[in-house]
Amino acid sequence: MATAGTPAGTPAGLSTGGTGAGSGDGGPAPLAVELRGITKRFPGVVANRDIELRVRRGEVHAIVGENGAGKSTLMKTLYGEHRPDEGQILLDGREVSFRSPADAIAAGIGMVHQHFMLADNFTVLENVVLGSEPTRGGRLDRATARRRITEISERYGLDLRPDDLVEDLGVGDRQRVEIAKVLYRDARTLILDEPTAVLVPQEVDELFGNLAELKREGLTVIFISHKLDEVRKVADAITVIRRGTTVGTADPGTTTARQLAEMMVGTELPSPEIRTSTVRETPVLQLREVTVAAPTGRPPVDAVSLTVREGEVVGIAGVEGNGQAELVDAVMGLRPLAAGTVLLGDDDITAWSTRARREAGLGFIPEDRHRQGMLLDAPLWENRILGHQTRPPAVRGPFIDRRAARADTERIMHDYDVRAPGPDTLAVALSGGNQQKLIVGREMSARPRLLLAAHPTRGVDVGAQGAIWRLLEEARAEGMGILLISADLDELIGLSDTLHVMLRGRLVATLDPSAVTPEELGGHMTGAQTAAGAA
Amino acid sequence: MSVLRRVGLALFAPVLAVVVAVVISSAVMAALQVDPLRVFAVMVDFGDTPSQQVTAIVVVLNRAVPLFLAGLAVAIAFRMGLFNIGVEGQYRLATVLAAGVGAAVALPGPLHVLLIVVVAMAVAAIWAGIVAVLKVTRGVSEVISSIMLNVIALGIASYLLTGPLRGSPEGASIISTAEIPESGWMPSLNGVFGVLGLANPPRQLYGFLLVAVVVGVVIAVLLNRTRFGFDLRAAGLSPSAASASGVDSRAMVVKTMLLSGAVAGLIGMPDLLGSTHAYTTDFTSGLGFLGIAVALLGRNKPVGIALGALLFAFLDRSLVPLQIQDFPASVVTIIQGTIVLAVVVANEVARRVARRSAERGSGPAAAVAGDGSTGPGQSTGGPGAGGGEGTGAGVSRTTGAGQRTDERQETGA
Repeated sequence: MATAGTPAGTPAGLSTGGTGAGSGDGGPAPLAVELRGITKRFPGVVANRDIELRVRRGEVHAIVGENGAGKSTLMKTLYGEHRPDEGQILLDGREVSFRSPADAIAAGIGMVHQHFMLADNFTVLENVVLGSEPTRGGRLDRATARRRITEISERYGLDLRPDDLVEDLGVGDRQRVEIAKVLYRDARTLILDEPTAVLVPQEVDELFGNLAELKREGLTVIFISHKLDEVRKVADAITVIRRGTTVGTADPGTTTARQLAEMMVGTELPSPEIRTSTVRETPVLQLREVTVAAPTGRPPVDAVSLTVREGEVVGIAGVEGNGQAELVDAVMGLRPLAAGTVLLGDDDITAWSTRARREAGLGFIPEDRHRQGMLLDAPLWENRILGHQTRPPAVRGPFIDRRAARADTERIMHDYDVRAPGPDTLAVALSGGNQQKLIVGREMSARPRLLLAAHPTRGVDVGAQGAIWRLLEEARAEGMGILLISADLDELIGLSDTLHVMLRGRLVATLDPSAVTPEELGGHMTGAQTAAGAA
Repeated sequence: MSVLRRVGLALFAPVLAVVVAVVISSAVMAALQVDPLRVFAVMVDFGDTPSQQVTAIVVVLNRAVPLFLAGLAVAIAFRMGLFNIGVEGQYRLATVLAAGVGAAVALPGPLHVLLIVVVAMAVAAIWAGIVAVLKVTRGVSEVISSIMLNVIALGIASYLLTGPLRGSPEGASIISTAEIPESGWMPSLNGVFGVLGLANPPRQLYGFLLVAVVVGVVIAVLLNRTRFGFDLRAAGLSPSAASASGVDSRAMVVKTMLLSGAVAGLIGMPDLLGSTHAYTTDFTSGLGFLGIAVALLGRNKPVGIALGALLFAFLDRSLVPLQIQDFPASVVTIIQGTIVLAVVVANEVARRVARRSAERGSGPAAAVAGDGSTGPGQSTGGPGAGGGEGTGAGVSRTTGAGQRTDERQETGA
């Protein structure tokens, strides 16, 4: 179902030399979107150089590349958020020039951002029309809005109910609201920025179903991703970007994920496989019947017990919103426990403050690095100190040791391949992958006994992903215990020694990662498969 | 070169703001049929004789000292994202009680002064501490509670002045506390004029100037060089990241408000110890509110606050000469008001420019690094956080970041 419209009949072939293949089968119909020689410079860097992109009408065209490769810059150019220094943008064969996103929208281009931009306390209808409300006599014309939204929803199979509050919707529904918002503005070309980053496998399949509908209606979809299997499944054509320029196009039918990834990175790839067990006897973290209460309703974390031993990676799989975030908070001391105990080594840390826990050897890679891991408006060296304010090398007595902090930041930048001009750069200037590598380096540098890693490679490019996996493997080999919470099933299966499945606040299954497939795991996560099959 | 550039970026916003304010107030004056050029000429005219000029400088400095302390008190709270509007009430209550205690005891010189200062700091800190406790235990917004506590503080101060602490005779036109004995006065710094070979003016240059300088340095070091300061600034930049890093946000609120209050307690000291030696019905008021403007102007950094305080003091000094020349004194108020408005706007513009250049990876954006008041909070709203990303229609992504700062800005303005 999800692979509707397999392009088996029109193989463009794998061409790593440029755009030669594209022009070969370019029929009389003009291309929906064509970029010629787009170059965009920012002070000191060239973000895009000689970009060539040819997107045919009615196809799903994937753009893949590492984070920081220039995908977002390119999409901002296409969406009118800034103007290219060189090159041309052609829509349906006509050259256009966008001064603002409003121009792009008027020309039929719509953008679905990775981070949703919805007002929680508004209904679906209100969110969709926000900014281009149909009015009658100066008031919002709800009847017209409802009719159009229902029409869009039915035509593209979006399954939206206009009067639902957005705060009650799941991630997949919210994404469809975003898509509806774009369609409501009569977009003919949709840009989807990493749309699957926040979805579980089943939701991804639904999304792909929607994309197929869009395609059937003759709409063009530009799909940005670095999940190569998905790209191969959904795309009709692929353009690969590396270091700011297009390095080639590929036919998803004939190209393997590995070949694609190698085009992206330009080197051989790492894989998350850990197979030699380094698990020792000594437990570093024990949770006993840990329960977190909510003001109303069932507890988000319900009597969770688990043990992480030295040299062991314990993975927690689950659909987002099943208590993982609350569990992380409970372990970090950011949320009070209603019941249960938390032991770090032999110490009962249940009543300890977050700072005491960190000092006792708890490292933390947060799920949302912008919210919990970084001070975006602070320089890198201050971010090096964050979370380690009481420990050397960055502090001396009650004072901050600026010189040592800067020096140690430079060491982390070097050892962990954080690409940035220097320790005085603001964290906001770094790409997501580099921010994450800085966080990983910072937490590893303190040599924690237990590392709590929540989605450590989320929103990170393939290169950084491999580096982070390798670091986790090394740390584990040295005896660090790692509690890994992730939505990336390959990552969980590849890295974990023990795998728990969390559903509605409980651990419902414990699986052997060497024997489980992603499909089985997905079944457990949604509750479709009972614990009967668990090892 | 990079130092030059950083200084340029840091100065850009306030200088722009002052220029805009001068232009706007010139337009207002012109509309009122007052010649702006003549007004500005009066403002910068410090007199003809050396003695007059030095006197004018002393007046500016004496006015700048309490303004600086007020700005500092506000800025400390701003840096952790708290808005202490209560500085006004804190220093008024502190000053009246310190005056009362100072008049009631007899101690040898330095100790007497020290006692008065400590009492003032303690009273103001406790008064600010109430705000913190309400916020931490009951979730009361510090803006609301500190405004309400201002009213209460002023009421108590009036009661104390007219009741238990009254030292002036019955029926006097100005009610005041009993005068502090001479051992509790702070000597002036007029000696330095002799050393510098300047005319010794009739006015006394407050000795508290030195204390203010020391306090400024201490606060600057505390905020920028210590672990405590790091925790405070981190909590201001991103409360969620700070608590994940182990900062106890509740304790931080209490500590910050106590510190802010303690500095607020010093605001009345230059006048009390240097010239009035008693708290009176016409004791300088409004410094707490001016402090907010000064803190904004100085971007919450001690050096900037000192410059902002000097600018405001300079404007205040021209009140009397302007009235002598028959110009409306409200001219000064107009300029001060437009400066504050322009600063708020200019800071935001500078912050966006710097942030944009940082996002493009060009590096030096030190001007925005770590200044709490106009500071944005963080870009939150990661995957799954859904509506956290501002309520924009999502037409333009760049507005997403801006909107969030605007919300904060409104509380700051």
